[in-house]
Amino acid sequence: MHPATTHDGDTGHASLWAALLPLAAFSALAWGLLHFPLPWRLELPWVPALGVSLAFRIDGLSAQMLALITGIGTLVFVYASGYLAHEARRGRLLGVLLLFMLAMMGAVSADNLIVLFLFWELTSLTSFLLVGFKHDELHARAAARQALLVTMGGGLALLGGFVLLARIAGTWSLSGVLGSGPALLADPRLPLAVGLVMIGAFTKSAQFPFHFWLPNAMSAPTPVSAYLHSATMVKLGIYLLARFDAAFDDFWLWESALIVVGTTTALWAAVLALRERDLKRILARTTVSALGTLTLLIGLSTPGAGLAVAAFLFAHALYKAPLFMVAGNIDHATGTRSIDHLMGLRRAMPWTATIAILAGLSMAGLPLSFGFVAKDVMIVAKAEAELFTLASFALVLVNAIAVAVAGVAAIRVFWGPPEAPRGRVREVPWTMLAPPLLIVLLGLEFELIPNLANPLLLAAAQSISPELGDVDLRASYDLSTLLSTSGVTVGFGLLLFVVWDRLHDLLHRQRWLDRYGPAAVYESLLHGLAGLAAWHTRRLQHGGLTGYLRLTLAALIAMGTIGWLLTQPAPQFDGRWAPQGWAWLVACMLMGVGAVAAVFLHDRLATLMASGLIGYGSALLFLFAGAPDLAFTQFMVETVLVVVAASLLPRFAVSAPARRRWRLRDAALAAAAGLACFVLLAQLAGQPADTQLADWFAASSLAEARGRNVVNVIIVDFRALDTLGEIAVVAFSLLAAMPLLAGLQRERQP
Amino acid sequence: MTSRSTLLAVASRPLYWVLLAAALWILLRGHNEPGGGFVGGLVAVAASSLVAIARDTEAARRLLPLAPLPLAMLGVGLATLAGLLGGIGGAPFLTHLWSSWGLSTVVLFDVGVFLAVWGSLSGYVHALLADGGPASR
Repeated sequence: MHPATTHDGDTGHASLWAALLPLAAFSALAWGLLHFPLPWRLELPWVPALGVSLAFRIDGLSAQMLALITGIGTLVFVYASGYLAHEARRGRLLGVLLLFMLAMMGAVSADNLIVLFLFWELTSLTSFLLVGFKHDELHARAAARQALLVTMGGGLALLGGFVLLARIAGTWSLSGVLGSGPALLADPRLPLAVGLVMIGAFTKSAQFPFHFWLPNAMSAPTPVSAYLHSATMVKLGIYLLARFDAAFDDFWLWESALIVVGTTTALWAAVLALRERDLKRILARTTVSALGTLTLLIGLSTPGAGLAVAAFLFAHALYKAPLFMVAGNIDHATGTRSIDHLMGLRRAMPWTATIAILAGLSMAGLPLSFGFVAKDVMIVAKAEAELFTLASFALVLVNAIAVAVAGVAAIRVFWGPPEAPRGRVREVPWTMLAPPLLIVLLGLEFELIPNLANPLLLAAAQSISPELGDVDLRASYDLSTLLSTSGVTVGFGLLLFVVWDRLHDLLHRQRWLDRYGPAAVYESLLHGLAGLAAWHTRRLQHGGLTGYLRLTLAALIAMGTIGWLLTQPAPQFDGRWAPQGWAWLVACMLMGVGAVAAVFLHDRLATLMASGLIGYGSALLFLFAGAPDLAFTQFMVETVLVVVAASLLPRFAVSAPARRRWRLRDAALAAAAGLACFVLLAQLAGQPADTQLADWFAASSLAEARGRNVVNVIIVDFRALDTLGEIAVVAFSLLAAMPLLAGLQRERQP
Repeated sequence: MTSRSTLLAVASRPLYWVLLAAALWILLRGHNEPGGGFVGGLVAVAASSLVAIARDTEAARRLLPLAPLPLAMLGVGLATLAGLLGGIGGAPFLTHLWSSWGLSTVVLFDVGVFLAVWGSLSGYVHALLADGGPASR
């Protein structure tokens, strides 16, 4: 990669090749749709032992999503080659974007819960990288982290929901789960499973109260916003809800939660759009609002709702992606996206203005646009469902705000007197004009020749609402009702457009919205987490060795006490506990003297030696208890430890000797720990010993491993894998400690 | 260290080789008698520590066949190799192989344990006892 240093927009066209992959995928999809009936299936074995296979199933809904992903993807890649012409790291951006596209394609065609989940998480991860692309900017990093935490948190909930669903249905197959109908609905665990799945979908599709990450994700470069955050990734949650809708349609929780959350999101986000001044953030708010409307439509259980979802999903992508590109073009040409500084751009950017108006028509749901068709279908669906009045009114308001936003994006910034000269504003290169133009023209064409879109939309609608019959999209044109309802929204919207600035000021003054919203909750949670981690680190990882030891011993005592309280077996003092001969007595005396001396001696060297006595005493015990290997090792460890520690002692600054009270307290702690150990061991001795394994090792050591020393044979042969792990840990601990040790040496240098 | 015993410093060189020979003997007898790679490695560490204390860490490091970390990694590598050799015939990783003269992948494995212990612990001891100077590898 070489940095692009020329100032001609045409240098970026070298990265046009990246559009070939989505184009190929789109062509293959179109060819397949023309030649083979849906659904298509593919299944490859993956983890047969767990019932997980790489299963894919493409039906109408998947095909519609795939068409959006690859079709809009192709144009976004063309657009990106122009938009990123001067971006040195565009190779990385396009690479991650391609990876994202593949993840999306996998997610919408997966027919296995695990596979779907993996692709789902991959879209979150790539989205994180894309949002944080300008990683040298603080707010971009914060936005990327927020998007990741919210969507991955939801992903965790989704995984829980999937696991529950798979256990209820007894299969990991998505179509299997969806097909297990009544058994699914009868299970008491279903509400939890459905709730978890909904949380996953709501975080991904930015539904209330998780809506706040999407506007912040606008820190991403515009091609990313147009692709991920309007047309594809945020629709993944909607896709999932639509996918499960056929199975859960009659489930009370499903229906009511979708309607309530969808309506709240649509209304709330639309109102918040009025608070923004940044063109991209305004569009992002209306995207959230549109996603809310989609959620609400899925919640309706009428057959027409499926058609409405499919149509609006399509229409939204077809107008929102171009509008984002328009915002990107304006940003590119003028260097700002604030609507306060943008006026009268139509002379300087006539093509962009044309695109904005065509897309705005669709967003406002006016005739001559696909948005008009979608709106019509939605009205029919809502009428069929006899939606309760409040939600109906909310949607009128939402649509009116959409009309106003369309006016802001398409009219306000392009009309009016040109702003004071801010240098020469030039129209952007063709790579940034052709893609949005093509998309809006496509929308126009679908309106004029619905036969092109009909089959795909109907197939998608039928996978959401299986009971939907054959409907012709044009058939539902009923001009009189349409005009009356549309008239209300458009008129209301125009009113809002006119008083936009006043409304903005009014809402902008409502500071409490920033203080108490879900975004504030997220922030305080994040701060709380960091605070908790800091507090816990200060408490537990304070660096004082004495403190660590005290804690460890206290834990040991607690374990001994709890163990004794729970079982309360009488300790068995059989023959094994009686002193056997002089050697045992000497060993025990060594240890006792060492322990007492360690407590009362004040000189550190003497204390060290005294503790060494304990080690030697126990080694002696091992030796006479028939464990020569253990004794040998204990002797060596003790010797090296004492010698090295003793030669290190003079190096460390002598701190004030611990106060008498503390020494006594420590002595008591040590005694208690010893007692706890004793109790644990005595209980162990009280249990019937299972010698099966020991007998087997003893019998097989010579016969199978040709060694008489059973301990060593276990270490190097029977349990060699454990040993390999242990020596690797020892060696790698040195590697990890080397920087610390080097620091120690630097400190000592004169 | 400010004061060193000349006597100990002079004696440490022959003692080092004696201890190392003992370590090897302990390593090799381990299959049938008490001993083995781990204890043998500890004895070798004791030998290295002796030189480090009696003379200085630089002298102790020069007596090692390799620098501590490479020595430890060589040990882990040999043990892994022993496991891989055992698996050549399609048997599971770490299956033992015996030749007719008592040589085996098990012995190779034990040598790996020995070197890993010797290298790692010597690395710690040398670094802790060092008087400063350039960081050692």
